[in-house]
Amino acid sequence: MPISQTAVRISQMDKYYGTFHALKGINLEVAKGEKIVVCGPSGSGKSTLIRCINRLEEHQSGTITVLGTELDDNLDNIDEIRRETGMVFQHFNLFPHMTILENCILAPKLVRKQSRAEAEEVAMEYLTRVKIPEQADKYPGQLSGGQQQRVAIARALCMKPEIMLFDEPTSALDPEMISEVLDVMVGLAQDGMTMICVTHEMGFARQVADRVIFMADGEIVEEAAPETFFTTPKHERTQAFLGQILGH
Amino acid sequence: MDATLPRQTRLRALRTDYFSTRLDTLVTLGFGLLAAWVLWSLFDWGVLHAVWSAENREACGHGAEGACWAVIDARWRLIFFGLYPFEEQWRSALACAVIVLTGGASCAPWFWTARRLAALWVAGFVTFYVLMRGGIFGLTEVSEQNWGGLSLTIFIFASVTLLGMPLAIVFALLRRSQLPWIARTMGVIIDAIRSLPLLSIMFTFAIVLPFVLPGWMIGDKLHRVIAGYALFFACYQAEIIRGGIQSLPGGQEEAAQALGLGYWHRIGHIILPQAFRNALPATINQLVITFKETSLVVIIGFFEILASGNAAYGNSEWNFAHVEVYAFVGLIYFVFVFALSRYGAYLERRMAVAER
Amino acid sequence: MISLLRQKSFRDTASQVGFIGVLILLVVTFALTAKTNLDAQGMTSGFGFLERATGWGVSFSLIPFDTNDTYARVILVGLLNSLFLGAISLTLATVIGIGIGIMRVSGNKMAELIGTVYVEIFRNLPLLLQAFFWYAVLTTLPRPRDALEFGGVAFLNGRGAYLPGLNVTGFSVFLAAIALAVTVGLWLWLRSARRFARMAPHIKKAWSRGLWLGWAALAVALLWAGRIPETPLLSIPTLKGLNFREGIRVSPELLTCIIAISVYGGAYIGEIVRAGFNAVGKGQSEAGHALGLSTWQTFTRIRLPLAIRAVMPMLINQYVWLFKSTTIGIAVGFVDFFMVISTSINQSGQTLELIAILMGGFLVINYSMAWVLNRVNDAIKLKGTQLRT
Repeated sequence: MPISQTAVRISQMDKYYGTFHALKGINLEVAKGEKIVVCGPSGSGKSTLIRCINRLEEHQSGTITVLGTELDDNLDNIDEIRRETGMVFQHFNLFPHMTILENCILAPKLVRKQSRAEAEEVAMEYLTRVKIPEQADKYPGQLSGGQQQRVAIARALCMKPEIMLFDEPTSALDPEMISEVLDVMVGLAQDGMTMICVTHEMGFARQVADRVIFMADGEIVEEAAPETFFTTPKHERTQAFLGQILGH
Repeated sequence: MDATLPRQTRLRALRTDYFSTRLDTLVTLGFGLLAAWVLWSLFDWGVLHAVWSAENREACGHGAEGACWAVIDARWRLIFFGLYPFEEQWRSALACAVIVLTGGASCAPWFWTARRLAALWVAGFVTFYVLMRGGIFGLTEVSEQNWGGLSLTIFIFASVTLLGMPLAIVFALLRRSQLPWIARTMGVIIDAIRSLPLLSIMFTFAIVLPFVLPGWMIGDKLHRVIAGYALFFACYQAEIIRGGIQSLPGGQEEAAQALGLGYWHRIGHIILPQAFRNALPATINQLVITFKETSLVVIIGFFEILASGNAAYGNSEWNFAHVEVYAFVGLIYFVFVFALSRYGAYLERRMAVAER
Repeated sequence: MISLLRQKSFRDTASQVGFIGVLILLVVTFALTAKTNLDAQGMTSGFGFLERATGWGVSFSLIPFDTNDTYARVILVGLLNSLFLGAISLTLATVIGIGIGIMRVSGNKMAELIGTVYVEIFRNLPLLLQAFFWYAVLTTLPRPRDALEFGGVAFLNGRGAYLPGLNVTGFSVFLAAIALAVTVGLWLWLRSARRFARMAPHIKKAWSRGLWLGWAALAVALLWAGRIPETPLLSIPTLKGLNFREGIRVSPELLTCIIAISVYGGAYIGEIVRAGFNAVGKGQSEAGHALGLSTWQTFTRIRLPLAIRAVMPMLINQYVWLFKSTTIGIAVGFVDFFMVISTSINQSGQTLELIAILMGGFLVINYSMAWVLNRVNDAIKLKGTQLRT
């Protein structure tokens, strides 16, 4: 694949927590516009993997290249990569002392040096897109979990990133709110965003993913298009996992 | 709605609160009688038989039955203003009022951003200093040597807080650094300074610093003592701020990092504002303690309110009136400190409600 | 070069090296300036002065001391005095604090009110003000002839408090006190440590009794051995002429410090104890009552132990802080560690060395106290989940 079409390239990446080998020899290539879903049992390293992509975790060996920039010690590179990747967390992590609108305009103002008016315009656009423009002046504590997560998505989008990383975005939500968030994510996928999602929502994977990746014990065990992945998984571990997850 | 019902429940409430069991009744009666006796004696001494005005000085003295508040009437200027020149004492009073107003204004939530608070306090302090010091705007100059009493206490307190708070933030951030050498060294320094008595630190800065500093840095003894006290305050406040930072969920910093915010933006916009909100009750408590401990400078030889109180009764004319003078000085401290700690309790309640 | 500055690993190392470097630079600058100043004033440095005789006496000492004794010894005297004052005041403060704390959570509104008034008054006034107040009160008490009497064996007047005492050497009393502290420590350990939890209660009781009897025997032996010859064992203060003879005289200075620190500390500890009780959820007491325990039993076996565990870290901080407040001795004339250092500086001029000793002394004492108390805390604290309501 030509370099300019690659969003993320991870090559022989290892990560240790002290002596614990959390990620073993990861190789992954994600093209621009591709949607990847990462799944696996807890402790498999899936969250660690995507957190390495925007340097919330440091990898010890191998290379990670995001949008052509190598992710290493260089602070300029790290800043650039963080500008171009957006992340949505399991626990939303909205800033409780700021209104919804202020949450969204903070980074564009400070990092992209936009004026307040510009940033507010962009923010309202994305808040409308996630269907809660009327909550702009409320505080996060006044919103439901589903609303907060949608704000979190809008906040990340306000930086106009090229890649969106999702770390179990619906795991902390009550069941009735999961669909409103998934709808937003589906809409985002249809608009052509490059997405890497760690999630248990297999329905979403079926609908949206170009590839599904199964991880266990820090390794990528299986990688396939959704139809193949769900109907004819190759590895025993994948089969066991799917059996557990889809059996409910 | 039965009109007699409220009265009955009130009576019953009185009963459960004070007289529910036999032990309870005994305790209530016992303490009640004790309290009544103490209150009556105080009232008798302090009000009924007291002498109020300075002209009746002869009525006081040994063998007098009541309090001799005349000493306050005679010596209040000394207690409030120390040796400040008589004609200029209105400036001292005004300066104190300015600081009290500044403190009051800080309680309004409108001021609760770093910039506004800093601006408010710097403005208040500069006004205070200009009023006290003079030398410009046509005010006669009064050197710091002659500042005393309550105004010196307030000056020391305000200087220590204004110097110490930014220093505390720096210390807290250094101690939380990811770099082990910096974090551990800062930890050792902070813990060591917190283990030392405040008096010994003030003493060291007053007496020892002239030895170890190059001549141009030595400065005035009052300034050195303020610097020492500010260092001490900063170490205690740094631990409070650090506690506030640690109580934040880790996801806050991560979300800010993921958005691309740099270190100073993260600290200034996300971490510190929330940390300070969490640490507010403990901070107010620390400010209260700082105000009280300014009294220690009397041992170093400064003429703050405790010393001026001592001087007020110390001379032969009023030297029996120590209780009255200490009660008055105590009342002044009490007013400031009680107001501050009540405000802290109010903030604590307000934040507990907000969190639900 | 610029790109090097943007490498995280380089910046990390450079920051750390820079930070330590700046600190070292400061220390070196101070040392050099000090040396220049000392040389210019022709003063010697070094700790040799500790061997010199002081030429001045102290008003209170637990060990024998006169004007021919060395600086080293006078520093020891100051240190022991501070420790002595600290031990007594902290104990009294704890007793008062527990009392006040219990009053404030008792449920009896009158007791709560009195407790609150006490705390508000004594916490909101500076310690130094309280010390000056008590000192003024104690020194203007009547002359020995008109002293306040307590049961004919203890007296209070303007020169101090006179208590009955034992005619034994101070050293034997000191040893007996150390033995008491050790015994109390062992007893508490026996009662609360997990390793003894499975011991049969009658065996535990036997050990407990044995411990106390052992201490009693040791104390009696020590005191008997330390008897001053040709004097009766008990010494009761009696008025002879203008003053009291016999008995132990507690000077107004020492008395002031004890009263001030105990009352002030008691207010703070009272608040901490109250916080401790509030941290113990109602559910715990309710469970106790549901099991049929009486109010007293629920209090002593459930609420109190949980309350203490909840606030142990705060108590430790408070004790360290209260010990530091013994420095007010200098304000009223009690010969505590700080006052000794300060006088020594005045008399000998060896400022830097003495300040170093002052700082070092307090650091050692406070770190040791914190270490011991933290060990206790680790031993008794609840493992696993915190107290829940």
